[in-house]
Amino acid sequence: MSGIVCAIRGGPASRPTIDKAIELASKRGLVLYFLYVVNIDFLDHTIRSRVQTISQQMQQMGEFIILSAQATAQTKGIEAQGLVRHGRVTDEIPKLCHEIQADYLVVGRPKFHQEESHFTQTLLADFIKRVEEQTGAKVVLSEPTET
Amino acid sequence: MKQGTRFWGIWMVLLLVAALLLFHPHAGAAQVTDSGWLITGFIHDKQGTAVQGAQVVLLAKGVAAPLAETVTQPDGRFTLVLVERPSSDLSIAVTREHFKEADLPLDAAASQTLLDSGSLFLPEITLLRRVSLSFWIATLVFVGMLILIALGKLHNTLAALLSATVLFAFSYLGRPISQELYIFDFSGALKYVDWNVIFLVMGMMIIIATVERTGIFQWLAFSAYKLSGGRIWLLMPILMLIASIASAFLDNVTTMLLMTPITIQIALAMDINPLVLLMPAVLASNVAGISTLVGTPTNILIGSYGKISFNNFLTNLTPGVILALLGLILYTEYIYREELRPEQKEGVSNILMKRLAERARITEPAHLMKAGVVGAGMLILFITGEHFHLLPAVTALMGATALLVWIRPNIEEMIEAVDWTTLVFFIALFIVVGAVQEVGLISFIADGISRLIGENLILAVLAVMWLSALLSTVIANIPFTAAMLPVIGYLTATVPGAQSKVLFYSLSVGSAMGGNGSLIGASANMVTSGIAERAGYPITYTQFMKKGLPALFITVTLASLWLILRFIVLHNSGV
Repeated sequence: MSGIVCAIRGGPASRPTIDKAIELASKRGLVLYFLYVVNIDFLDHTIRSRVQTISQQMQQMGEFIILSAQATAQTKGIEAQGLVRHGRVTDEIPKLCHEIQADYLVVGRPKFHQEESHFTQTLLADFIKRVEEQTGAKVVLSEPTET
Repeated sequence: MKQGTRFWGIWMVLLLVAALLLFHPHAGAAQVTDSGWLITGFIHDKQGTAVQGAQVVLLAKGVAAPLAETVTQPDGRFTLVLVERPSSDLSIAVTREHFKEADLPLDAAASQTLLDSGSLFLPEITLLRRVSLSFWIATLVFVGMLILIALGKLHNTLAALLSATVLFAFSYLGRPISQELYIFDFSGALKYVDWNVIFLVMGMMIIIATVERTGIFQWLAFSAYKLSGGRIWLLMPILMLIASIASAFLDNVTTMLLMTPITIQIALAMDINPLVLLMPAVLASNVAGISTLVGTPTNILIGSYGKISFNNFLTNLTPGVILALLGLILYTEYIYREELRPEQKEGVSNILMKRLAERARITEPAHLMKAGVVGAGMLILFITGEHFHLLPAVTALMGATALLVWIRPNIEEMIEAVDWTTLVFFIALFIVVGAVQEVGLISFIADGISRLIGENLILAVLAVMWLSALLSTVIANIPFTAAMLPVIGYLTATVPGAQSKVLFYSLSVGSAMGGNGSLIGASANMVTSGIAERAGYPITYTQFMKKGLPALFITVTLASLWLILRFIVLHNSGV
């Protein structure tokens, strides 16, 4: 197995990442996998009793976001696969890359001034290094848009 | 003949007894000679709240041992019983933790009354608060808890539990060192826990856990889309109404937890920014939650403390909520007018809409039907229950149990669905708030507010409503409401016209609608923003405030107008 893993979150920030992955899949002729990771850590300080219900809802939302990306890929002649995983983003991405022996991992470069960003510059560099060393996949960063 | 002799014999005996009683030296005290001389009184604090557990001792000049002693009852009353005839130089000493000691000499007239009649009713005794070391400990622990919750450094429940534990540690471990460190004992602390609230919240959680699995929210949201015909300006208020009605009967967090993912999907399928639909929905949820007794935890607290029934909320608050909601709809239509223009969107994705239509269905119709029947029964009991003293907590428990028996779900799953952390949070919170009540902080606050407000009811309504609204934007509204309840209780008793409980409704409006002022103002905001962020549409603190703060001002203003109209203008005109 080989292919391209494209980790997306949805929203305008993911569009350049999706485009970049589609372009790469088209150029290399590789299978494209869109990945959405369900993470419900934000419930830590509110409620935890409805983990099952909210996980199910987030799974459906993730599938929908993937479907939307697949539809975009389809309009450009690419049949993409979609996967929804549950856990931490930084754990699930390398796992999938390893499972499918990915050639490339496409992720969006976060806007570092954004308070929601999961990564700092250092953490991002560490993450890229770890993925490349552990899985052999080359990490491709897409630039953020000003939206 | 025999009968006549017996008749006169009985009369003679009765006359003899009467004569003996009449000429006895303490004839006036005849009513109390069996039990002694009685002194009865009532002890309250400056706010008029009964003081329970105060030690009352009757002393005589020159006598070391007390003549009589007792402890005040929960209603603040006490009765001293003297078995021996007292001398005339008497005084009453009252002691109670967290209060100044009171020494009240009985004047000559009072002593004479006691001696003559055998009983004495004292005028009401006011115990004054004393700022002790325990006052500062309880206050610091309470403020510390609020800060921990606001900063999110600890889980709410853990913050409240930690605070309660610190209070007990001071009371039990500190007391041997100094009496000044004592706040209350365990049984004293438990008296502050409102079990009506705990069981009502628990019952509603079981009902909600059943309903949330039926797919009703997904179906409703998609039906709203179909009803709107894809017109965003129409879809937005329909979703707001769904969020409002759901929030009136379920808690706001559940409503937004279930509505947010499906709303995001609808927005993505329509190629619009989901926040255009989400922000108005969460604002509406925070506003409409207070239209019923069970809609928000704060209403449950207020209803239980203020003895406000389900019907009272419906008749006194719901019209104000509807008014505020109308204002909110107009406001959101205005601020999102650019996004609501049809030409702004690229178009609806047929693939995505087809997927949505497949998913937006009732997944458990039988369970939904049963939940509907039980829900209708509960509604009837909530409305009629007050006529036969049926507590809302009992109705909720009856409904939850009936549903569990009828549906027979996996009981382990249902028990897990009960948010035990929230229930423990409530218990610990009641204890912490009880501590600041015990040491007198609440009395000082009530006294201060009372002095500021005076006897002006309109000022009281506005002050309570706006103060709670503005504070709820930065501090968690549940602990705030719990702490404010005794204050509102005092103002209700002292401000002329407030006996209609209008100040409790003001607190309800302020603490709930205040949640719209900031992202951290309500749990529903945090849940909505958390899910939206995971779909790639983050809501920043500033973004939320820009939309939410004006919404707060509009809705609280409209609700203020309603309460003033309902409780002051119409009341004064006799309507």
